[in-house]
Parts: sequence; structure tokens; C-alpha cells
Amino acid sequence: MNFNTLALDLQAIEEEFPESPLDYFKEKKLCLFRACLEKYFPGVRWGFQDLLEELQLEVTTCKNQSCCSGTFFQRNLITRAQFSAINERNLSEMNQQADIAFFSCNGCYNSLLRGRDFLKTPEVRIKTQEILNTIHKKVGVERYPGIYKILENPKIKLVHDLDFLYLIRNDVLNTLKFDLRDLKVAVHYGCHYLNLSRDKKTIESYLGSKTKLEELIELFGGIPVDYQERESCCGWGASQLLINPREALKITYTKLKSAENVGADFILMPCPTCLYTLSKPEYRDNIKNWFGEKLEIPTIHLNELIAILRGCEEERCISLTRKTPRLGEIFDIITQQ
Amino acid sequence: MDEHTDWNWELFDEIVEDVEENKNIIQCIACGKCVGDCPAAKVSNFNSRKIIKKVLRGDKSVLKDSDIWHCYLCERCKRVCPKENINIPLLIINLRNESFKRGFGPRYNDLRKYVEMSERFLTQGIILEEPLGEDLPQERIDELDTICDFARIKYVFKASNEKQKAKRKRN
Repeated sequence: MNFNTLALDLQAIEEEFPESPLDYFKEKKLCLFRACLEKYFPGVRWGFQDLLEELQLEVTTCKNQSCCSGTFFQRNLITRAQFSAINERNLSEMNQQADIAFFSCNGCYNSLLRGRDFLKTPEVRIKTQEILNTIHKKVGVERYPGIYKILENPKIKLVHDLDFLYLIRNDVLNTLKFDLRDLKVAVHYGCHYLNLSRDKKTIESYLGSKTKLEELIELFGGIPVDYQERESCCGWGASQLLINPREALKITYTKLKSAENVGADFILMPCPTCLYTLSKPEYRDNIKNWFGEKLEIPTIHLNELIAILRGCEEERCISLTRKTPRLGEIFDIITQQ
Repeated sequence: MDEHTDWNWELFDEIVEDVEENKNIIQCIACGKCVGDCPAAKVSNFNSRKIIKKVLRGDKSVLKDSDIWHCYLCERCKRVCPKENINIPLLIINLRNESFKRGFGPRYNDLRKYVEMSERFLTQGIILEEPLGEDLPQERIDELDTICDFARIKYVFKASNEKQKAKRKRN
């Protein structure tokens, strides 16, 4: 069985389509993996979906896809085999309808790759198949061939939204109505993007510094600003924020403060879980109560930013319920050009 | 040396038997880079170097320590480690499993934050109130329920139901 990474080979696409990598995606069936946290930030989904549609790409979501279950695996509430079975089920469903799956969340992207990684271990693979057999027995019928089997050489490839957007950056730029007007932007990649090895082919691409967000900011007319806590965790820490909130929020506080200190107008990130942690009003209030400082630096997901720059309707970019005065200011600076 | 620090390979053998990749921790040179770059170490007593040392010495007190539950699983340690293939996050998950098995894991109260998420996952296939878009069909939710048979997620869910029943009875 082939358990090579399912991550889309971006380098090969760049080599094959040096002029327009976007051409690779035309005629392909694309599927957006539905991240649970997108519920709070619908612009993360819509911003990306609208862009793909404008670029004439065929895009769907998979109605049979469940949560990636990373939260439960990381707290030992399910086993490796159960985690792999959940992810294998999701992969089978997406494999049935698409060639490429896009991920707006570092956690989901990591989960799908990790679930597949575990199958390299024979014991886990056997147990995972046993679990899938149990479902098959219970369901009694096969909805389509191979649904309850570990996928051998699946056609589906996985790609993080940030990697895709960077790959087709010139096409993205052509869709933009506004620019960033020299706004100073601090970036937060998130641990499971920065430290992920599962989708890397070379040690250099794993250990080397990641600069895609900074490059996109410059391309979009903004000024990326460096800050001491650039690579630090957002504070979510596999639900540590729920279990040990004071400890975890100290990390969040330090990060936000560090970005404020260098005069950043907002923090840009490619993950809704990090966005949730760094922006939730309740957490900002707790930071004020526990550490004595009210921090108001706005936070925006890359997909939301692209929607703003493309001139989408406000509700399509940023849900009004999370709109703070500072976030409103950023929105106005960009869109009132 | 007390009874916990006698040098033996029992614990190491056990966790390697469970997850073969754990055998790589024997390459640890105790340089401490993992601790220096660790978010958990900045705000708690979590110290991956000490944890590895305890495992290699066969000191089973590591399974009782609350420290292993403070890891952020951010994988930073894996990236900064100068040795290849030492997977500390996987080791921590494995140690937590052992801890659970021996009855030292978090109690129901520590897991109560997971109750709602567990319930939603088992009854809706998602972890937030309502998904953006279509609901997962019931047959697919049943599949997830079957996958999770005998998993701790079900005990968390069950414990919450029993607690609610007891509360209703009291009232």
C-alpha cells in the first residue's frame, strides 16, 4: 500500500505550469473541507469559495464529511485507529467527489495528514480496517465501491489554502479591487502550519523559515512587520485554553502585546482556530482582568482579507457580530479608496 | 535512589511496544532545545527533557505527574530537535494513554469542557452548534458512533448524561 503523503505537490505544479499554476486546477474537481470553526467566521469559507468561483474553478463541499476529530485525539478520547478511521472515512467521501481538497484550518489539514501517517504502522492499519469493517457490517450495504476500505493510492490530494493562494498569487492579485494601503501587518502562521513536516518533501522546506504570508502582504500593498512572538503559539494549544485558561491566555496575551508593540495595524493568519483564540472578546476580557491590559489589535484570516480586498459585501468577509471598532477601521481604510 | 528512580527499561519497553516510533527517544542528548522553545514550559512546569529522562530511567511517576497534561502538542519541539525522528508530541500522547489506563488520567471534572463537544460529535458529527451549510445525514452520524465504540469520548458523553439524570432526580 502506498502511504506517501497526500499533500499536493506544489513544486511539481510550479515546474509544470511556470507561467500560470492556476491552469493545473482548471478541469479539476475541487472540494472545500468544512472546518468546524468556520461557523464563527463564515468569511473564511465564503471568501475562499467566492474567489475560486471568480477564477472559474469548479468547487463544492462534501456533505458526508465530519469533523476531523483532532480535538478528541489530542486529548486521548479516541485511539489512533479510531482517529485514522474517522479520517479515512472523510478521505473516502472526498475522494469520491473531488480531485483536490482545500483546508482553511491548520488543525484539520494536520489531522488528515496525521491520520494517514498512522496507517504506516501495521497494527494501527489492521485495527483501522477492522473498525471500518464493523461499520460495513452495520450498514449492510456498500454505497459505493471501497467506501469502507483503507484507500490505496487515492486520487484526492490535500492542500492548505495559504499554499494554494501563494501558488496562484498573481491571479489573486488580478481579482483585487483594493490594496492594503501601506497598513502594517503582523503575521501569525500557527504551530500546525509552521511546524508541520508531514506535507514536506525536503528537510529544507520543513526547517526553513516560512514567509508566504509576508510575501502576500507585500504583493497586496501592505507592510509586513516582524515581532518577537511571530512564531509563538496562539494559546489554544490542543484545548489547553479550555483546561488551563490562565496559563494559555498568558501566551495569547504575550503574542498580542508583542504585535501591538511594533505598531502592527492587525494580525493576519491562515487558521480559524488561531483566529478564534486571538480574537474572542471573552478571552480579551480575561486578558484584561488577569494581566491588566486591554488589547485591541484586530485579527483577520487570510481568506477574509482577500474577500475585503476583492470588495465583497461586508457580511461576506467578516461576520458583523465580531466587528470591533478597530476591525471596522481597517475595513474602512481598505474599502474607502 | 527511591523506588521510582531505579534504572530499568520496563516503561520504555511498554511505550515502544505500543508505539514503535517512541524507540527514537533513546537518541535524546538532553540538549534542552525542546524546552527552550516550548510554549507550555513558559507557563507551566512542563519539561519535555525531564519527561524523556524519566521514561529512559523507568521512572513511572511520570504517569502520575500532571505535567504531561500541560503539553500544547504544537510540534515545535519536533522541529527544533537536533536529532532526527524524536517525536515528543507522540510520546506525550502515548504517556497520557498509559496514565489513563492506570487510572491517573484526568477525572470527569477535568474533562467537563469536552462534554458538549463530545455530545455534538457523536450526535451531529461536528463540534460546534450548527455547521455552516448542510447537516451530516443520520446514517453518516451512526457510522461515527460505531467508530467511537468503547472510546473514552463515549464515557465522557455517558458520564455527562448520568450526571444530568442525577441532577434531575435531586431536583
